[in-house]
Amino acid sequence: MSAPADKKPAADPAAEKVSGAELKKKAKAEKAARRARERADREATGGTPGPKDGAGKKGAGAGGAAGGKDAGAGGQKGQRQQQRRGSTQGGPEAKKRPVENKNVAVFGHLYGQPRRTSVAGAGKEVHPAVLALGLQMRDYVVCGSSARCVATLLAFKRVIEAYTTPLGTSLSRHLTTHLSHQISYLSTCRPLSISQGNAIRALKLEIASIDPSVPEAEAKAALSEFIDSFIREKITVADQVIAGSAAQKIQDGDVIVTYAGSSLVKQTLLAAAREGKRFRVSVIDSRPLFEGKHMARALVAAGLDVQYTLVHGISHAIKDATKVFLGAHAMTSNGRLYSRVGTALVAMSAKERAGGVEVPVIVCCETVKFTDRVALDSIVVNELADADELVEVQAPQQLTGLPDPAAAAAAAAAAEQETKKGGKANQTAHSAQSAATEFPSNASPLANWKETPNLQLLNIMYDVTPAQYVDMVVTEMGSLPPSAVPVVHRMSTNM
Amino acid sequence: MAGSSEAEKPFDIVATYNDLLRTDPDLTMPIAAIEALVLLLTHSPSSTISETLDLLEKSTAHLKNSIPNPIGLSAGTDLFQRYLITTLQRPGQLGPAGDFNAIRAHLLSNGRLFVRRAKESRDKIAAFGRGFVRDGSTILTNGGSRVVASLLHKAAAEKGGLSAVRFRVIYVLSSAKGDVENPSAEPEGMETVRMLRESGVPVATIPPSAVAYSIGKADTVIVGAEGVVENGGIVSRMGTYQIGLLAKAMGKPFYVVAESHKFVRVYPLGQYDLPIEQRVIEFRTQEDIAEAEKQRLAAKSSDVPAKPSSEYDCEVVDYTPPHLISALITDSGVLTPSAVSEELIKIWF
Repeated sequence: MSAPADKKPAADPAAEKVSGAELKKKAKAEKAARRARERADREATGGTPGPKDGAGKKGAGAGGAAGGKDAGAGGQKGQRQQQRRGSTQGGPEAKKRPVENKNVAVFGHLYGQPRRTSVAGAGKEVHPAVLALGLQMRDYVVCGSSARCVATLLAFKRVIEAYTTPLGTSLSRHLTTHLSHQISYLSTCRPLSISQGNAIRALKLEIASIDPSVPEAEAKAALSEFIDSFIREKITVADQVIAGSAAQKIQDGDVIVTYAGSSLVKQTLLAAAREGKRFRVSVIDSRPLFEGKHMARALVAAGLDVQYTLVHGISHAIKDATKVFLGAHAMTSNGRLYSRVGTALVAMSAKERAGGVEVPVIVCCETVKFTDRVALDSIVVNELADADELVEVQAPQQLTGLPDPAAAAAAAAAAEQETKKGGKANQTAHSAQSAATEFPSNASPLANWKETPNLQLLNIMYDVTPAQYVDMVVTEMGSLPPSAVPVVHRMSTNM
Repeated sequence: MAGSSEAEKPFDIVATYNDLLRTDPDLTMPIAAIEALVLLLTHSPSSTISETLDLLEKSTAHLKNSIPNPIGLSAGTDLFQRYLITTLQRPGQLGPAGDFNAIRAHLLSNGRLFVRRAKESRDKIAAFGRGFVRDGSTILTNGGSRVVASLLHKAAAEKGGLSAVRFRVIYVLSSAKGDVENPSAEPEGMETVRMLRESGVPVATIPPSAVAYSIGKADTVIVGAEGVVENGGIVSRMGTYQIGLLAKAMGKPFYVVAESHKFVRVYPLGQYDLPIEQRVIEFRTQEDIAEAEKQRLAAKSSDVPAKPSSEYDCEVVDYTPPHLISALITDSGVLTPSAVSEELIKIWF
């Protein structure tokens, strides 16, 4: 027990120190930004009364936000420089200190600000519902592109309900800025998904198109109505339509392979099961989120035959597959699928399966997830999650093999007593202790990866599947080849 | 007027459709379907929009169910229905607020116009596709597609009629052995072969088994299609898929000639995902054959016309996926396979 306990405190304060210092720095930057904004406000109100007031406030607000961002970036740059200095100075001893850059170089551009760890430092404009949602998204309580989109819209509905237009401004001008605060808070909790971005864009467009002469209550009711119908049209009903038409592609005797936990694929499979189709499902899952577990549970509850494998069993699972159903985080304009990391592997193994007929790969995706961006690889645009998520894993219950930590501690204590007696006993004690430190049975072997030199962990969230590995995209506007994504995107945004 | 419509009330859409196809050899399946539906509307006594749509839907379903391969046909019926709905939704005199009789007259006249235009589209395609038949080239083609025939004919006429022969054709003819009733029947496409030979084009006819052998001598493959599906693939006469595969393997361009009214909202994932039932692969033992023979004899004795495997060879289709197709020559231009879905989306939304 003593050995792992010794190690842990050494690791933790360092991590805490870093995050604490950063927090302080961030809070300071935000405070400065707030002060600047207040000053600007005062000046604006003092100088020019009347309608210009709103514009001034808006400009200042945007400036403040930008300032905050800048300050954050500056702080980070400083930190990085320090690290660089440390590594150039140091020879072998410097490596032992926890200053080594733990960022994976290829993905260096993706390490932005670390995700927010608490609501501390959030602006006072941020609505409590949004505060809570931000933390939920950060902790993956609200997870999945559509779920995040719906939750954001619902939170914004509450924001709009609680909103009163300040004197001297109009709703259509001020509400957008007010929402921007909520949005920037949310994006510090977790980068926004494509669907969230699309929904927010639609909402802002709707707000901007409100006639300033419309009474506030009426405008707010209209916006609530807009949010409701957006959720209904673009997600709820769209999901039903997609599940219905994708379920038509499932035939009796099929073996469906799916990856991770797309709610839309789950709906599709359940719809097919309700229609009385007999098929098997092979759920492939991966660490660290284990989203497939929910999927497997729901399918089993519906009475389906389910096989659950982690992604390393892919070649085995794909062997008797007849169709692959995948969910999407987004579809890019060049027809590529941007989805949970590992999806590309599944799609490619299905297409390149040796010695068999091609297995069709079907993607279920609402058009709200289409984007006009183009993705050539999964490096330029991606999201990084906390690498520590990869470390935390529950050790399986061990029956044999490794020494019991309690016994090791006892042995160590006994050895300490025996040190005076002779060298031989000392040696055995040391070996017992080292065994205990090498394999602490209740901690991951990666537990102190931050102290291990030359070890970097990468917890990437998404990958990109090339268009030629996707046979069909089922959307609420019909089934399309991936090459038709930009056409549909153009049409659905024009409408 | 009322009396006559009463008398013709049992309007048989299936018989009309078959009649149309039989009497006009130039008619394609989707156009025949549209023409049949227009005729149905002229005969129907319906007086409201919803009644008309309902009637249309019922007859379409009936027609689809009674034809062995409704893929080509459904392109026409879908298009017509879509056209009707968009016409009815348009504001103005012909919109839902307008006079229904005016709407109906408009529909009928436009429906006829549509049929005429569709027939003209073949010439348009020939004009687009002429450039694909180069001087001194050899074209490999199959089946009995009238569009391909008109394209080749146009190309032959273009090159100076009888005297100047500038391209050759390898025609893949499937043997007529499937037809049990009259084994001496001419294979599909023989007419085109004769027509081409008359206009001075050297034609070689080969069986489907010789495609791989002969494709090395061909420069271009041009085929027709029964339906063009949503991902840009085609549903076509059995044997087209293997020609496509061979053309891809040999690096020969593979062009599909099809009118844009053959675009159909079907998305097959593979050969066995077509929305029709085909009995192509049938596993049998000697016992099964004996059983079938016995049943056939029994049926013959009871004077019920039985057609065992005659369905094969003339009706069956296969699906050629888009990655094998170089381009589609249609009346709206020469399209890549991925542009088909774009065209379809334009029609439907």
